[in-house]
Amino acid sequence: MSGELDIWYAVLVIAALTLSTLITRCGYLLFGDHIPLSPAVRRALKYAPVAALAAIVVPEMAPWTAAGPQWDWRLLAGLSAIPVFLLSRSITLTMVVGMMVLWGCRWLFG
Amino acid sequence: MVNNKKRGKETRLVGGTGEVSGESSGQLAALPPGEVRRAAFWDGARGIAPLLVSLGAWGVVAGVAMAKVGLGVWGALVMSMLVFAGSAQLTVLPLVAASAPIWLIFGAAFIVNLRFVIFGAVLHPFFRHYPPLQRFGIGFFTADAIFIKFMAVFGQHTGPATRTQTWYFVGSGAVCWVVWQITTVVGALLGSAIPSTWSVEFAAVLALIAMLVPMCATRPALLAVVVTSLTSWVTQPLPLRAGLLVAVIAGIVAGYWADVRLERLQQRASQA
Repeated sequence: MSGELDIWYAVLVIAALTLSTLITRCGYLLFGDHIPLSPAVRRALKYAPVAALAAIVVPEMAPWTAAGPQWDWRLLAGLSAIPVFLLSRSITLTMVVGMMVLWGCRWLFG
Repeated sequence: MVNNKKRGKETRLVGGTGEVSGESSGQLAALPPGEVRRAAFWDGARGIAPLLVSLGAWGVVAGVAMAKVGLGVWGALVMSMLVFAGSAQLTVLPLVAASAPIWLIFGAAFIVNLRFVIFGAVLHPFFRHYPPLQRFGIGFFTADAIFIKFMAVFGQHTGPATRTQTWYFVGSGAVCWVVWQITTVVGALLGSAIPSTWSVEFAAVLALIAMLVPMCATRPALLAVVVTSLTSWVTQPLPLRAGLLVAVIAGIVAGYWADVRLERLQQRASQA
């Protein structure tokens, strides 16, 4: 795992990632005039950013393995971030307190 | 290009969110185009600054992971410069470590990136009046933090973007891109120096939660988050992280349903 990758494999991986990201990010901006969206669809799309954030965050806090759902102190650390942010409105303080909760719980309870 | 009516509306919107100081918005109307660009560029850079800590933490984590997989510092830097998508980069690294076929790597990155198609559709009315090369550039910079910040500041705006909005977007994008490259290289150089048991990458998740909380201000948005969370929790066994897409679609459907229902209830209440 720590050895150097075959250079051509690395080039192909980077090319595949670049292509995948450019198609998804630039596709609609370039060809959107030919892909009309109704007002209903646009209204539904308002909820895309919150949905995307939640869908990225939740598996990080409450992961599954092949054996099923796993308990992880990250869930407690992540949930503690909600009141911390509501009270402080500071992203940095939320990160600091959340990491303290995670490290503290792991240190106390293993 | 920018009439006074639109300028007034925009100033009010920006002032309402407290993102741009009243002083600089007031100055903008009187400034020549070059000055407007520069002021908006730095407003964008300042607006995104609170998110740079999390972006930087994520960049270091991605750099460490890329070095561990064997891409080396140069490979990590080239990948970050061209791709500029942390979630896609971090998603495919386990596949790269297992020497997975290229089509699988492309497919996994594509699914994780599908939300950018939705971001593009949301941004299209803002930027459709620009020539293709400029639209391509806007698309390249549409990372999560930049899109979310832009919509938080200018989301109520309808019609084509003003010059101020476009340069706000470019400013926040350029700063994020530069920070992403620097922190990726730092991470790749650190390599395995940071023990993985510290879980520093979790700081990035905490930052995303801090971004998510203020976006749940309306009941449809809150319902969308609850439905997405439950769906993304139970769909984790799906291959290629397909649960991400399923959960996003479920959340959008729930948010839309609640949005329509709320509007009907309000109409009924106002008629009664």
